[in-house]
Amino acid sequence: MGSKINKSYYGYFFVAPFFIGFAVFGLAPILYTLYLSFMKWDGFTDPVYVGIANYTRLLHDSFFYQTIGNTMIIWVMSNVPQLIISLLLALILNEKFIRGKHFFRAVYFFPHMVTAVTLGVIFSLMFDWQTGSVNKLLMDIGLIHDPINWFNSPWWSRTIASGVIVWQYFGMNMIILIAGLQSIPNEVYEAAEIDGATKPQVARYITLPMIRQVILFVFITSVIGGLQLFDAPLMLGDGPGNSVRTMVMYLYEMAFKNYDYSYGAAVAYGIFVIVMFFTALTARITRTKE
Amino acid sequence: MKTKKWLGLSMTTVLAAGMLAACGSNNNGGNASPSASGSAPSSPASSAGASPSASGTDASKPLEGNLVLWTYFDGVKGLAEQFMAKNPGVKVDVQIFPGDQYQTKLMSALQTGKEAPDILDLERGYIGKFIDSKYLADLSSMGAEDLVKDYIPYVQALGRSSDDKLRAIADTSSPGGFWYLKDTAKKYLGTDDPDQISDMVSSWDKIIELGKKVAQDSGGKEHLMENAGDLFDIEAYNTQPWVQDGKLNIDPKWKDIYETQLKIRQNNVDAKLAFMSAGWGNALNDGSVVLTAMPAWAGFMIDNKDDKAKGKYGVAKTPDGYYSGGTYHAIYDKSKNKDLAYEFIKFAASEEWQKYNLDTTGNMPGTSKVFEANMTTYKNAFTGDQNVLQPFYDMVKSIPATKPDKYGEDILSTWRKVASDGVTNNKSYDDVVASFKKEVKNTFPELKVD
Repeated sequence: MGSKINKSYYGYFFVAPFFIGFAVFGLAPILYTLYLSFMKWDGFTDPVYVGIANYTRLLHDSFFYQTIGNTMIIWVMSNVPQLIISLLLALILNEKFIRGKHFFRAVYFFPHMVTAVTLGVIFSLMFDWQTGSVNKLLMDIGLIHDPINWFNSPWWSRTIASGVIVWQYFGMNMIILIAGLQSIPNEVYEAAEIDGATKPQVARYITLPMIRQVILFVFITSVIGGLQLFDAPLMLGDGPGNSVRTMVMYLYEMAFKNYDYSYGAAVAYGIFVIVMFFTALTARITRTKE
Repeated sequence: MKTKKWLGLSMTTVLAAGMLAACGSNNNGGNASPSASGSAPSSPASSAGASPSASGTDASKPLEGNLVLWTYFDGVKGLAEQFMAKNPGVKVDVQIFPGDQYQTKLMSALQTGKEAPDILDLERGYIGKFIDSKYLADLSSMGAEDLVKDYIPYVQALGRSSDDKLRAIADTSSPGGFWYLKDTAKKYLGTDDPDQISDMVSSWDKIIELGKKVAQDSGGKEHLMENAGDLFDIEAYNTQPWVQDGKLNIDPKWKDIYETQLKIRQNNVDAKLAFMSAGWGNALNDGSVVLTAMPAWAGFMIDNKDDKAKGKYGVAKTPDGYYSGGTYHAIYDKSKNKDLAYEFIKFAASEEWQKYNLDTTGNMPGTSKVFEANMTTYKNAFTGDQNVLQPFYDMVKSIPATKPDKYGEDILSTWRKVASDGVTNNKSYDDVVASFKKEVKNTFPELKVD
């Protein structure tokens, strides 16, 4: 029996589990979402075909555009400081003379082990304007006289949402960057030392160029992750004037709060196009630099 | 050639996936079958009674069978336990799904019919979305009009579909009132008598004047109310429906309500604490706010460790009667155990259960009979010797009976969001209405909005 089987088929059997899994849990929902986006369906009645009506509605939906803006703002406010902090910490903790660096690496990684939802709840309690610990602390040390209503201000709300993300991910990215740093061969540093390079010069001309690929990896994953922001901001709420509502939160609200599954599906495809665009853009920018 | 092979293979993959998926649903079917086979014993019972309803009405024949009940509310267990104690041949499997997923889970179970429960609970907040669907059995045709003939008008109306048929029945009303710590009330209002306090706060104008005085007497530390937002709850069901004939309808009364809220905020009458927040709970327990608008079912927010809250509270009437929430029991239309499920609903609507529930949990009954029969005898642990049924009964009777619709609650929460923002930032009513209309138009494009 074995002789009858064409050898080239074996490979397919090995990849089959993944493809079957993907077809069932990935492809099927993706195609079903596409189908739904051309329908009108509230979950109770049978879906009715409406053509591109959902997409027309999406193109004229100012609330959706607002969520794109919010997502971008929160993305920039969270990722710029986060990348800087992780890079600085990675450089510092990679130095040989630092004591207890293993301890600090572990401690900085801890926030990543807490789920985003939990972090969202913790931050919303901490920044509660009447009972939160942050206002209490600021008032105790005399920085402010009256409590600040953080979540009544669009910019404070966005800053807090960004803060949650920075706090959650800086340790993770730091670990990835340290891994990159450790792959740099020692000889290069020794050569630099012999040539009399200063520490900043080593960092500027050796370390950073040699971990460029790792930095790019961190950057691209943060672009994709940042555009899909959902759980932490959800716990903080929409914010005043919906200023913290991200694209995926909007999708969730449309599909699972208003039970407008069909419009939710159209929003999902809208988000897909935007994520595609920014991923392509990132890829493009990084290519021209090479 | 190669692409052909690949195509063939991917087709096989998709087919295999299909098979897997089919296996999955078979499994589901398999899971469902225990309850389905479990239901088998009930059918002999009902067929023995020849006519379907006979099995229930014939008291000599004990009920038998299994029921699956889906709920989001832990307290329903008590109802099932009492029902089972009375009918030892019946087993009610209460499955609790707390949180937001309940609705989605329920919806997909009803759509597919797989593993769907016999009895399903619906919350006031979303009953309007389900009430006109084809999934809920018509209880009127099963004789349920008789069960609700003595009900509080609004409680029974909330279980009716737009064609006026009963589709769901609640075993409680969920009236709210102003709860107060007697000591605090005595200090700031000069009395702890519920009737006198009810008189002092019988209108919003009186409340604002009284609130100013409380703020002044306490040097701004004490507040009369928890939150200007309480007015949303209190007035929500005393206003016209949000949607009439497919058009957004803003009751002109909302303008007065909004302006009252602004005055409450500007005059330091409220403590700006959000309902059920940590600060709100503290204020209820330590008396830093005099009056807390709270439904009767929220008594668990009072810290009663070692009976320390015993007899310390009183309940006064709010300017308009109000309720908050409500758990409605409905029967799945395609359930094989409809008759037995109806017996369960019948028990839930009975005076026997509602009296028991009042005594054990303090949840207010849905039927007037239990209110009237216990008016002077029922005492609540927190409110001591006050006849606490009296203020609640006066208020529930005054609440207009309206049928739920699919928009009402969602639009109310949009209004709540936009108007709260307006109160916090001292915006004009017109500004609030403009952004409210924009949100409604966006969420429900099918509605006409001027």
